[in-house]
Amino acid sequence: MVGFYIDAIAALILFGVGLYGVTSKSDFLKIFFSLEMLLNAVILLLASGAYHFGLTRGLAVAYVIIVIATLEAAAGILIFILSHRITGEIIPDNLNKAVEDE
Amino acid sequence: MSILILALAIILAVMSLVQKNTVASVIAFVSMMFLLGIYYILLGEKLLGLFQIFVYTGGIVVLTLFGVTVIGSKFPDFKIRPWAVSIVTVVIIGLLIVPFLLPSMPMGGKVIPLKDQVKIFTDFYSLIAIFMGVVAASILYGSIRMLHTLKHGKE
Repeated sequence: MVGFYIDAIAALILFGVGLYGVTSKSDFLKIFFSLEMLLNAVILLLASGAYHFGLTRGLAVAYVIIVIATLEAAAGILIFILSHRITGEIIPDNLNKAVEDE
Repeated sequence: MSILILALAIILAVMSLVQKNTVASVIAFVSMMFLLGIYYILLGEKLLGLFQIFVYTGGIVVLTLFGVTVIGSKFPDFKIRPWAVSIVTVVIIGLLIVPFLLPSMPMGGKVIPLKDQVKIFTDFYSLIAIFMGVVAASILYGSIRMLHTLKHGKE
């Protein structure tokens, strides 16, 4: 039971770090890393629940999350490279401004 | 051992966001994912751990390194957003309160009746489903916004 609390606290801290990255960082790569951290915090909680309480249904959700993260990575890197080609930067805030200037 | 691995993973997560060099940031991210995969294997979930290592340190990081070759080795300067810390504080306090509102979790080692399993599933995993829905909606909104911007950019 103590192990689950340690995992839950670690997952919560990881979730907090990821959330801070999503809300504060303004370049695509760090936002992408932060999103992956959010997803991995949930996977950590699900794996810990499966180990400590036998809730193996959560593992199915964890596999689905990993597949979604893979697809998100492919789409994210595509957006990231397109943004760099359009604006010469990887800052999403400047994307609208660059398009308006053109 | 588990505390050490988890603490290292959290430190590496912070490092990957703080670093100004892109390659160092990617290496910290890879190390964090690798440590989490090792931790899952230590928990007895070998398939999940191997899946994590293969997918994250294999596939996603190669894609990221490809992106890094495009942007160069330095991150651009960014605006500081002071309200980010307050948002994170509110959300974390909310997540700390939620477990006290949920029914008590079963003790380890005992066989859980199906009725209780369904109750835990509906009460606990529904929150995760809502979270995933919010993340998916934000990704969808970002994609639509990007397509809209690209379309107007071509005109």
